[in-house]
Amino acid sequence: MSRDFIKILNYSLLKISLIPLMLWIISTLVFILLRVAPGDPVDAILGSGANEASRELLRYKLGLNESLLSQYLTFINNILHLNFGESLSTQEPVLNIILKSLPASLELGIFSIFFAILIGFPLGFLGIRNKGKRGDYIARVISISSYAIPPFWGAMLVQLILSVYLRIFPIGGRFPIIHSQPHITGFLVIDSLLDNNLTYLKDSLYHLALPSLTLGFLLSGIFSRSLRINLDKTIKSDYVNAALTRGIARRKIILNHALPNALLPIITISGLTIASLAGGALLFEVTFSWPGIALRLYEAISQRDYNVVQGIVIITSLLIVSLNLFVDIFIALLDPRIEY
Amino acid sequence: MQNNFLIAIFIFFISFLQYSCVPNNRSKRITIASSGKIESLDPARASTLKSLQLLSSLGDTLYELNSEGDLIPQLASGMPILSKDKLQITINIRRNVLFHDGTPFNAKAIKFSFDRFKRIGTMNYILGNKIKSIETPSEYKLLINLNKPSSSVKGLLTAINLTPISPTFYKDYSDKFLNDKFVGTGKYILKRFSNEIQIIDPNLNYWGKKPNNEGVNFIGYSNSSSLFGALKSRQIDVLLSNSIDDSQRNNLNSLSKKNDIKEGNSPAIEISFISLRTNSYPFNNRSVRLAIAKSLNRQLISDKVSYGLRQPSRSLVPPILKKSKQGLWPEYDPIEAKNLLEKEGFCNGNILKLPLTFRSNVPSDKLIALTWQEDIKNILKECISIQLNGVESTTIYKNLNLGIYTAVILDWTGAYSDPEAYLTPLLSCSELDGESCKKGESVYSGSFWASSNVQKLFLESEKLNGDKRLAKLIEIEIIASKSVPYIPIWISSQKAWSQNEVSKPIFNGAGIISMSDLKFINE
Repeated sequence: MSRDFIKILNYSLLKISLIPLMLWIISTLVFILLRVAPGDPVDAILGSGANEASRELLRYKLGLNESLLSQYLTFINNILHLNFGESLSTQEPVLNIILKSLPASLELGIFSIFFAILIGFPLGFLGIRNKGKRGDYIARVISISSYAIPPFWGAMLVQLILSVYLRIFPIGGRFPIIHSQPHITGFLVIDSLLDNNLTYLKDSLYHLALPSLTLGFLLSGIFSRSLRINLDKTIKSDYVNAALTRGIARRKIILNHALPNALLPIITISGLTIASLAGGALLFEVTFSWPGIALRLYEAISQRDYNVVQGIVIITSLLIVSLNLFVDIFIALLDPRIEY
Repeated sequence: MQNNFLIAIFIFFISFLQYSCVPNNRSKRITIASSGKIESLDPARASTLKSLQLLSSLGDTLYELNSEGDLIPQLASGMPILSKDKLQITINIRRNVLFHDGTPFNAKAIKFSFDRFKRIGTMNYILGNKIKSIETPSEYKLLINLNKPSSSVKGLLTAINLTPISPTFYKDYSDKFLNDKFVGTGKYILKRFSNEIQIIDPNLNYWGKKPNNEGVNFIGYSNSSSLFGALKSRQIDVLLSNSIDDSQRNNLNSLSKKNDIKEGNSPAIEISFISLRTNSYPFNNRSVRLAIAKSLNRQLISDKVSYGLRQPSRSLVPPILKKSKQGLWPEYDPIEAKNLLEKEGFCNGNILKLPLTFRSNVPSDKLIALTWQEDIKNILKECISIQLNGVESTTIYKNLNLGIYTAVILDWTGAYSDPEAYLTPLLSCSELDGESCKKGESVYSGSFWASSNVQKLFLESEKLNGDKRLAKLIEIEIIASKSVPYIPIWISSQKAWSQNEVSKPIFNGAGIISMSDLKFINE
């Protein structure tokens, strides 16, 4: 036990020690790529009408007249002090912008994964239970359709049907205009509960329902197909056959033995899916006017707001790297076959 | 049995959610939606139409332009008085006006706001070098000293960026922006601000006519489809159109014709044009520029791209500002275009290759380019070949003065309501080399065109007023139209749509909607 623990600890420490290196590479790449891209914040802020004197003055005010090396050293030094600087266009601290928008994206992501599992797992079970029968084909068609549908098209379609024509859900946003949203953690569902306000809870769930259900449905195919394939493979394995011949109930074998084994690859897939949501949710956030971090990143890129882009990319990278680390360690803990 | 149970749960869940969303007591507040977000409510920082729109309700300017294009005093108590040497403007200020924080409005507040904008304003270049200083000889009198005679200063006095703010409230922000608060003298007071949602309430101490509604909720959606859907599903009362797709504009226009909704239009103030790089081949040849201008079928483009909703224009100055709809630029004439090109050695095997750049993030630009390209293929295939190149707008703005683009589609809205705010940014040049501009505004518009005569007329126009000045400015446009450094395409107006139970949106001459005039008509 203690030997295993030391092994896992070493493994974790090795992975953790790589995080700063990865973040340095990512932040340097972002810094370089942003500067290589044509146009700068001055052009985005002033448009085509300003004269050269105004442009130079603004460039000076924003610190863009300094050499690239000097800008880079300042940037790295600031990051080491957890200072992401201020937005070039609004002068708002980048950390504030991230703290305001990140919870919105995480909330949408968490609820989407929840719905993806809620839809995907039953479909996977339906398929395996009715293997080769009508139920299996129906589950397969739904699953494949869910990840074949382009997310932006799917989002616009449900918005059109459920918000515009049927008027069941709001067209966009995160909270009703008339109410002041609670500000405790930034997660409106949690904040409403902490505030003990049932109306706010309903309002936040109501606004969250359509984007998270839609995104959840579009992600569910990956879960149902993975479960279907992995469970099928596990059921065919020798140890399951051995258990069956010993007269153990099939249901018990599946739930207690086959399912935990089949879930291991799904945990990896879940980690990757959540990581991909950081960029993949962008189209959802744009379609549903969801004030999340992906929408902020999109706006910051178009405004060439270097500091905001850098800050968001670094924080998002940190989250993704941490999540992958967590998944790696979790799987290493669950699966004794994994060598570390 | 199990299925029925699941259905019952689903219905309960939806009903539970629906209960919270259905407006149970409709207030008299108006909900207005438009695209995007507001990053700053600081007049020194605000540059988007949306933020200027909101600022115009929260603050007052010294003067406003009405829908006929006339100057109307707001915080000024009368029209500006120009000294005999035309180097000083005297403005008397309205008395008994209070800022939202309860402090009195006076001439010093205007000086504070003006100086702050000059110091930190993002768009302070609109001031040029016109204003030397501002004096406040008494509490309600303002003297503006000019560096040289400048009649266009009057137009500047309508600029929303120069909206007076409370010196007391902005004491700690005289050298930096205050993005999420605003304290001015306007009809509304800012109640709540976030980038996506702004709530404003009527200012009970307002000096003038009080708003017709009990407040406005201003919301931003991040895409055109959501805006369109929100109005159709009646989730909002008014939709402002600053970037809604043309197909949706057309759909809303049809709905308004069927009296399903109401449509309000501002005077047309946004011009779209093609900038031609006149300092190098092929557009250093005036005849080629003229031929290209004559090959542009504006009516076809307007019909195909905007469903006829954007008005084809042969002028760089909006009609409301020059009090005339007269088009000065060359008319569509493909036969004449062909003749001109043949004279210059094109056609008959020598095809003029025209690289046309458009802003890839502006959908209508791409459609304009495609329509023109197809039309040229039909009518002047043997003479012109248009090659399209989509580039993101920020990149285009960066590269314009480098002379990278042979022809590029752009648009422009004057920073204030004056013909000069359209002509100077496109045609003025501070360092000329024959017909080419080395330094100046026309370099930044990508045309590099210059005319010593035009520069002379600009200087002369600054010393004139009224119709004489307008005549000089029109003369400038005539000279430019003959030389064709730009090709105007169309001129657009702001549009807003309201539900039938809400009054029709009304705009002023600067394309700003009057939020205070909006009301529920069954009240």
